[in-house]
Amino acid sequence: MSEMVEVKVPDIGDFDSVEIIEILVAVGDQIAEEDSLITVESDKASMEIPSSHAGTVKEIKVNIGDTIAEGAVVVVVEASAAAAPAPAVEVVEAPKEAAPVEVAKPAPAAIPDIATKPSPTANINPVSFKNAHASPAVRKFARDLGVDLSKLGGTGRNERIVKEDVQAFVKKVMSTGGGSVNGGSALGVEAMPDIDYSQFGEVEIKPLSKINKLTGKFLHRNWVTIPHVTQFDEADITSLEAFRKKSNTEYEKEGVKFTMLVFIMKAVAAGLKKYPRFNASLEPSGENLILKNYFNIGVAVDTPDGLVVPVVRDVDKKSLVEISKELREISVKAREKKLKPSDMQGGSMSISSLGGIGGTNFTPIVNAPEVAILGVSKAEMKPVWNGSEFEPKLMCPLALSYDHRVVDGADGARFITYVSHLLADARRLLL
Amino acid sequence: MSTIEVHVPDIGDFESVEIIEVLVAVGDKIAEEDSLITVESDKASMEIPSPASGTVTSIKVAVGDSIAQGTLVLMMDTADSTDAAPAAEPVKDQAPAAEAVKETAPAAASFAGDVDVSADVVVLGSGPGGYTAAFRAADLGKNVILIEKEDVLGGVCLNVGCIPSKALLHVAEVVSEANEFEELGIKYNKPKINTDKLRAHKDGVIGKLTTGLKGMAKQRKVTTIHGFGKFTSANTIEVEAADGSKKTVGFENCIIAAGSSVTKLPFIPWEDERVWDSTDALELHNIPRRLLVVGGGIIGLEMATVYSALGAKVTVVELSPGLIPGADRDLIRPFEKTLKTRYENIYTSTKVTELTPTKKGIVCKFEGTKAPAEDTFDNVLVAIGRSPNGKLIDADKAGVVVNDHGFIPVDTQMRTNVNNIFAIGDVVGQPMLAHKATHEAKIAAEVIDGQKRFFDARVIPSVCYTDPEVAWVGQTEEQLKADGVEYEKGAFPWAASGRALSVGATNGVTKVLYDAKTHRMIGAGIFGKNAGELIAEAALAIEMGAEMDDVAMTIHPHPTLSETLNFATEVAEGTCTDIYMPKKK
Repeated sequence: MSEMVEVKVPDIGDFDSVEIIEILVAVGDQIAEEDSLITVESDKASMEIPSSHAGTVKEIKVNIGDTIAEGAVVVVVEASAAAAPAPAVEVVEAPKEAAPVEVAKPAPAAIPDIATKPSPTANINPVSFKNAHASPAVRKFARDLGVDLSKLGGTGRNERIVKEDVQAFVKKVMSTGGGSVNGGSALGVEAMPDIDYSQFGEVEIKPLSKINKLTGKFLHRNWVTIPHVTQFDEADITSLEAFRKKSNTEYEKEGVKFTMLVFIMKAVAAGLKKYPRFNASLEPSGENLILKNYFNIGVAVDTPDGLVVPVVRDVDKKSLVEISKELREISVKAREKKLKPSDMQGGSMSISSLGGIGGTNFTPIVNAPEVAILGVSKAEMKPVWNGSEFEPKLMCPLALSYDHRVVDGADGARFITYVSHLLADARRLLL
Repeated sequence: MSTIEVHVPDIGDFESVEIIEVLVAVGDKIAEEDSLITVESDKASMEIPSPASGTVTSIKVAVGDSIAQGTLVLMMDTADSTDAAPAAEPVKDQAPAAEAVKETAPAAASFAGDVDVSADVVVLGSGPGGYTAAFRAADLGKNVILIEKEDVLGGVCLNVGCIPSKALLHVAEVVSEANEFEELGIKYNKPKINTDKLRAHKDGVIGKLTTGLKGMAKQRKVTTIHGFGKFTSANTIEVEAADGSKKTVGFENCIIAAGSSVTKLPFIPWEDERVWDSTDALELHNIPRRLLVVGGGIIGLEMATVYSALGAKVTVVELSPGLIPGADRDLIRPFEKTLKTRYENIYTSTKVTELTPTKKGIVCKFEGTKAPAEDTFDNVLVAIGRSPNGKLIDADKAGVVVNDHGFIPVDTQMRTNVNNIFAIGDVVGQPMLAHKATHEAKIAAEVIDGQKRFFDARVIPSVCYTDPEVAWVGQTEEQLKADGVEYEKGAFPWAASGRALSVGATNGVTKVLYDAKTHRMIGAGIFGKNAGELIAEAALAIEMGAEMDDVAMTIHPHPTLSETLNFATEVAEGTCTDIYMPKKK
């Protein structure tokens, strides 16, 4: 009547291991195929692992904090298609039973504190710290400076970490201006005051989603560590828009819908080919520029949980039809939290398009380690002087933010002008 | 006595430098060459020394001033015989500090409602962990209250544990050795044992230490309150004294050092005076003809050593397959061999199912292959372990989590789940050892002081102070095998040590374990005379990440037992010439 099935971690891209940050099911839960079981987190984003089978959860094999990889058993499910009514009763009962037990326990409410308490050195693993090749005195010294000994090599005999290594490490961190502890204090800025807003009126506290927190961290880092310049332009897309609408009617039957973004992606890829410094990353040491010979475009997607930037690969080699289809798939995946970490890696440059919403212009923040990002706002009909008279033209505002350490102002202007030029007559993309 | 002006000396070719720090204050007594101020040029900072000794009467510069050679820095009285006056001043300085502390106290009181006394740091329990935490916190300038349920300070260790047992073990060692001297041609008469006098000696040792503690508490201005402390909130403890009077103690930070108690199994007839726990055994009520020791761990075997030397016929019964579970068997096997010659019986893998007091003695029923079904003993010592006291102190009222076993979980800074409450020693987990507690105590006190301290020690040595001793530190071979760690081993039998031969300790063995890849020491074990003293070198070697060569190439004094650590390492390396070894590599 029923069969026990082990649900394993599917292919999650090229990650050796990811950490479990949330378990979304409990023993006894009735789940459907594709229901999310757990949330895992890489250094890029979080994703949910779906169930490969429907049934009742019999056993959970993982814990929050575990690191897992492809093939790890997540849960054991009793796969039974017909037994739906019975487990449904269990589902109702289970939480009822569980709740009073917790209430009856005189244990204080603050149990998870040990784990969640923010410690200045919370990121230091105590085991690898104490087993680093350093004497007790050096361990004490490193603790004073908040240095994780497992992260540095020693210069002593057989790589023993000596006091000077700890000092040199701190100096390096300080001089590269990384703001390793937290952005605020490293910049020498006052911390934000902790204000009780309820004194001004009713408030509600809503925890930030995992994605909010992650993107917040990255955006903050990029904002304070990258010297940004934003270059604005307007592209005349009158003829392109006409072509787009025509193409959409032609391809309607095939279910393909071209958005302006697809053309802009193509134009940006062409721009990257002409100006290779935009398709680059700066080595963290600041010594070298890494130029990329692939043309992958990141697209910022707004999801209910926050902003994600999936990457469309090899935009230069793909047709507009292929890009359109892929873009649609990837947006759906993003909204359903099905993006793999690898889907969000390896971008050459990103595009943030708010054209569908409105606004005249904005300054996007570079999506490091990329060095440039193109912001697209809502196109509007504007009178444009053609030399003898005003002509109505559909003008699309573009904003190019770039890392000024890599890209000069003149190149910034050239790049955005070139992209506008391509969009003004998309036939140029063929040249 | 004369007043002199102190000017900036030649500071090189700088027109002016900025003062970034003034290091002295008016009234300070300074010696010649003491630094007065720190100045900074665009190149570096330097300190300007005083040209003479004396007392600072006025300071003419301030932080931020630019000065050059010849600028007047300060005025001072050069006086040689006014030591008394300035010496009094630091005392004056302390007074306002003490008042400041008092000012913070009422704030805590208003928070808790009605507090009788309060302090920055309250330590619950005055064992080695508790008093260390209290004294360290006091030395860091905290106002400290130490709560102790007994009348004397020192806890189990000083009063009914480590110290009294060692006082008796020393006596036992001398008695046994004197006994063995007959073989060397020196015969002593059978010792006459005056248990009252021996007890008084032991109590004298305890007395000296507890009086010392009391004195040190007083010197540090640590207030001690005697009574049973229980939490009433996250900032208060209610202390019930022996006479039933109650006192509420408020605190900003608390360190729980409540220790552990003898584990009492329900089927043991504790009401019978002939049934002892370790505390009773240390009292030397009588020397039984036949003593049964239930539990072949450290505590049971130490007491067995004492009573055996004092003339009792000892039987040891242990549930697990060998004595001292936790230590490597290759150390315990020679140990068991030695004990078998001294004790009446050693029953391992044996369970005690019933203890029945009768007129003739305590009848004990055994369950085990080698033990008889039952036997009768004059006294029974039950030493099957200790349980943490976490559940006895109403920790939940402070919001502190206590697990089912009675342990209080803490993080690596010894902090419980409640931010201002720390816990150390036996009550936070195994191993229940005084030297672990004192190390944790300092961490807790220093973390409260705002220092960044963590429990980063790699190893905690264990010692069984029997005769002979067993000691081990770091990983055991059993653990390494279980974890699949590749290791290199060196064992040195003491029969090849000249010193061991001369002191009659030929049954000993020293073993070292090195990581096969890094060649760093990861464990060591010693069986034999003074093993407890010898193991400290191995602990230091492990903490320092010492490699084989570090230990092998350190010249050890000859002839000593400490050499055996060096020899064992040479055995691991294949370079030892003190024993013959077949070629290793």
